[in-house]
Amino acid sequence: MNLIFKALLAVEDPTQTHHWLLPETAEIIYGGLASVIVFAGLFKFAGPMVKKSMKARTEKIQGELDGAANARSKSESDASGIRTALGDIESERRKILAEADTQATAILTDGRARLLKEVAELEAKAVADLAAARGRSGEELRGEISRLSSAAISSAVAASLNERAQQELIEGFIKSVGASK
Amino acid sequence: MSDARIEAYSRALFEVAQAEGNLLVVEDELFRMARAVESNEQLRATLTDATIPVARRQQVVEELLGGKASNTSVQLVSLLVGAGRGRDLVAIVDRLVQRASSEQQREVAEVRSAVALSDDQTKRLAEALSKSTGRKLNLKVVVDPSVLGGLVATVGDEVIDDTVRTRLEQIKTRI
Repeated sequence: MNLIFKALLAVEDPTQTHHWLLPETAEIIYGGLASVIVFAGLFKFAGPMVKKSMKARTEKIQGELDGAANARSKSESDASGIRTALGDIESERRKILAEADTQATAILTDGRARLLKEVAELEAKAVADLAAARGRSGEELRGEISRLSSAAISSAVAASLNERAQQELIEGFIKSVGASK
Repeated sequence: MSDARIEAYSRALFEVAQAEGNLLVVEDELFRMARAVESNEQLRATLTDATIPVARRQQVVEELLGGKASNTSVQLVSLLVGAGRGRDLVAIVDRLVQRASSEQQREVAEVRSAVALSDDQTKRLAEALSKSTGRKLNLKVVVDPSVLGGLVATVGDEVIDDTVRTRLEQIKTRI
């Protein structure tokens, strides 16, 4: 123990330096100059980089602030648009309903008119068909009577055309032709 | 068949018949044959059917006319059928009849009757028609049951119709 204490006393012996706490004057001068040089170097070379870095950071923060402001503005605009759209949808719904009503009314009116027209045409056609059928029946009946009459006449004439009648017809022809000049 | 070809065939038939010296008989027989072909659809179809061999068609002609017509007439019709002119047989014969009539300074008068006429009736009819038309006529009588009764005479463009068929048709029209 005594030995350690003696050694400490020996290291901090005031006789070895001018002051036990302060360094040598020259050392202070050299150290001060070195520090000044180091700080000057730092100020010269590192300063702009730091300034630049700070400026970029400031700009980034400002950009983020501006973006946030824009986003807010856009959100407000969207909200406004949505509110407007809601209003438009309601007016569109009313408009569509009104148009549907108008169209339904028009379709009903047209359909009724068309149906009335078709009914009138069908009635007219039925009347015409009836008249035609009546006329056709009459014509068919007349035709049938004519056909039967002709057939009856032909049969009667053919039955009466015996040899004597044939000869009389031939002689009659010869006489009439001979006398015709 | 072209008119020139019909004319050529009729002239050939005329020359052959004239050369054989029986023109009047041949033209009369061919006229009757033509009327038979005209009124019989089956006969007409047989004579014009290209699927039937020519020899068979000529045989039909010979069987039909054999014993009823002169050999010249049979050979001439057989010639036409053999030459594939069966379709124009009627036209060729009609032209031949006209030519033969012209040769005699006569005009063909075709008379259709439901029944055959006696020789006397034919003679008196020819005289009556000649007197009526003022022309010399070569009378050809065709028995045609479709006229029913009476006669119809055609001389050139002139038609004298006094048949029962025509009268019935007039009555039907009126009805």
